Amino acid sequence: MHVNRPEDFNKNVSKALAQPDLKMIIRRTTDKAETKRAEAVANFPDFENARKQGQKVKDHTIKYMDHYLAEFEKNALAQGTIVHWASTGEEASKIVLDICRQHKAKKVTRSKSMLGEEIGLTHAFDNSEIERIETDLAEHIIQLAGDPPSHIVWPAMHRSREDVVKLFREFHADPTYSEEITDLVRSARRDLRSKFLTSDIGISGSNFLLADSGSSCTVTNEGNAELTITPPKVHIVTAGIEKLVPSMAHAVPLLRLLTRSATGAEITQYNTFHNGPKRANDADGPQECHIVLVDNGRTKMLAEGMEEMLRCIRCGACMNHCVVYKHIGGHAYGSVYPGPMGSVLTPHLNSLKVANKQTHACTMNGRCEEVCPVNIPLPTLLRSLRAQSWQKKYEPLTNRFVVQSFAMMAKRPRLFQLLSSCGVIFMKVFSRKGWIKTMPFTSGWTRNRDLIEPESTTFMHQYKKIKNEKMKKAKSDGA
Amino acid sequence: MNKQNSELSRAKIFSAIKAANPTVTMDVKTIEEEALDILKESEFARPKLLSEDATQALVLRIEAGLVIGTTCEKISTLDELPHLVKQFFSKHALPQEIKVQSIDKLEKLNWEGIATDSDIEKDNTVGLCWAEYGVAETGSFVVHSSPKMPILLNFLPLYLIAVIPKSKILHYMDDYALIANEIAKKGETPRNMCLISGVSGTTDIEGVLVQGAHGPEILHIIIVEDQ
Repeated sequence: MHVNRPEDFNKNVSKALAQPDLKMIIRRTTDKAETKRAEAVANFPDFENARKQGQKVKDHTIKYMDHYLAEFEKNALAQGTIVHWASTGEEASKIVLDICRQHKAKKVTRSKSMLGEEIGLTHAFDNSEIERIETDLAEHIIQLAGDPPSHIVWPAMHRSREDVVKLFREFHADPTYSEEITDLVRSARRDLRSKFLTSDIGISGSNFLLADSGSSCTVTNEGNAELTITPPKVHIVTAGIEKLVPSMAHAVPLLRLLTRSATGAEITQYNTFHNGPKRANDADGPQECHIVLVDNGRTKMLAEGMEEMLRCIRCGACMNHCVVYKHIGGHAYGSVYPGPMGSVLTPHLNSLKVANKQTHACTMNGRCEEVCPVNIPLPTLLRSLRAQSWQKKYEPLTNRFVVQSFAMMAKRPRLFQLLSSCGVIFMKVFSRKGWIKTMPFTSGWTRNRDLIEPESTTFMHQYKKIKNEKMKKAKSDGA
Repeated sequence: MNKQNSELSRAKIFSAIKAANPTVTMDVKTIEEEALDILKESEFARPKLLSEDATQALVLRIEAGLVIGTTCEKISTLDELPHLVKQFFSKHALPQEIKVQSIDKLEKLNWEGIATDSDIEKDNTVGLCWAEYGVAETGSFVVHSSPKMPILLNFLPLYLIAVIPKSKILHYMDDYALIANEIAKKGETPRNMCLISGVSGTTDIEGVLVQGAHGPEILHIIIVEDQ
């Protein structure tokens, strides 16, 4: 599997832009999600109140995180769940693999969890003797293709129907020869059905952890979480510590926001609360239940004043509305979490040194903040990361030179005006029919599109001219 | 070894949180009051129902096509259920076989002409379950795992019929959360509490919705007057 690295962001972007169909494939899904979200919000007049309430639920839980973590642990233990703690992703993966080995598991089924990707669980299984079976349809597709996910809600968004046809014909035991999407889904259903029922261990993530009951909540449209969890003898949940909410009543406002923001639907088809292992004489369900509570940079975010990012409920609305994401797709970011939320999270989960370029891949149009169901000020957080990146001298020398030169000029108005005037003349030299196709120092721009020819004079010159004209007119009117 | 490492990580996590928020109160009463205050806002932060009557709101929601792959009808007594099931079979050209949840009120009905049993298998065609609650806000029915309720009954069949008693239809998800809280207080929380709102669906290939991804493709809800 080739996985892009976050430090190669510029190279990854060039590669993404060179793929002729990628933008069309991405927009097919994100544009639909954007339209459907707008409709869902229009049908919910109190949506703004709901956002405020959702934000309050998350802020309250984050503020008292140690209280709620202790509460969750106590109640989960009382339900019969075995609770594990992991400071890092590596530790979390090791705990999961050790449990699987203790049970001599040969194959595990897994329902989609971005945390699983974050902690490297998929790779850990692939490097082990245990077979990993992804059960979410999109995760199934990318597992067959050997791809990393490219979106947190639609991980196989970058794959076309034709790609899926080829993959299913190659890998399914009883593949369809139709190219209809319905038949492709049926093929996956056939292929996965017996795998669900013969798995040794079921692994899930959790959308919410309920402190007052020790429950974990899964949210899916396919119903694959319940099919993953119920038949095997053991259920393992991996969850970030920020998934906590005080109670089911506090999860409800977030459920209202989550699906509307993610897909534009009002609710996901399956919202299930899992409360430990099966009870005595239960008709089905796992006999043993483990939960691995993962930090992996979250307490660092608290310490660094980035707690607003811990509100994130992983709906993907920010990337569905991001003009940058829509052009380059998820793989270019080189990390599990792409788009605006990923550009804020990755520097904390990995390091700002390797993921600082992503913080600049933002036009600051503010759409991500506008559509965030829990009001995360993503542009502000990105700006703060840019500032940190500058202070830590992570910017390339050329960028530092240009910005410092600009700062020097901006403090000297006459020099600034002189050089601006020279700049206009310089640009005019390269201008043909109103456009500049090539010009020194601008290849980053002109490689992909032309620059528009500048006005004949600088902004300041025009501003003064207009101001003088207005003053003259005012004087003559007064006279 | 793992246990030791886990405890070390636990200590690290708690101390990091404390270090980040050193002045935050740990007075449980204050925390509980703040948490309750947030819930008081729910009344002004939830969608309007299609009717003030919960049953009517649920029916209207399903009839408006807002619950994926779902139809519904009402009956006055449970005795009418086998007849409705037969009609369902005819409508979808299905064999006269059904997996019935193993509870007295369903098993004792007159199923003449229909093969019934309760053994859940890999490729069941039609399943019939008894819902604990209905939720008008989302068009959901709720099932609780128990010795008489295999969760897989709701996921393995391609067609699912769910019976909801009219008196158990709630207005909002918040109402169900209150009930779940009461169940927890009695120490009777089931292993699974599933809110099911439509059929198994996916938009993972080119954003096109397909029903019956892993679970049911068709869901029929039958609302029955109180017994």
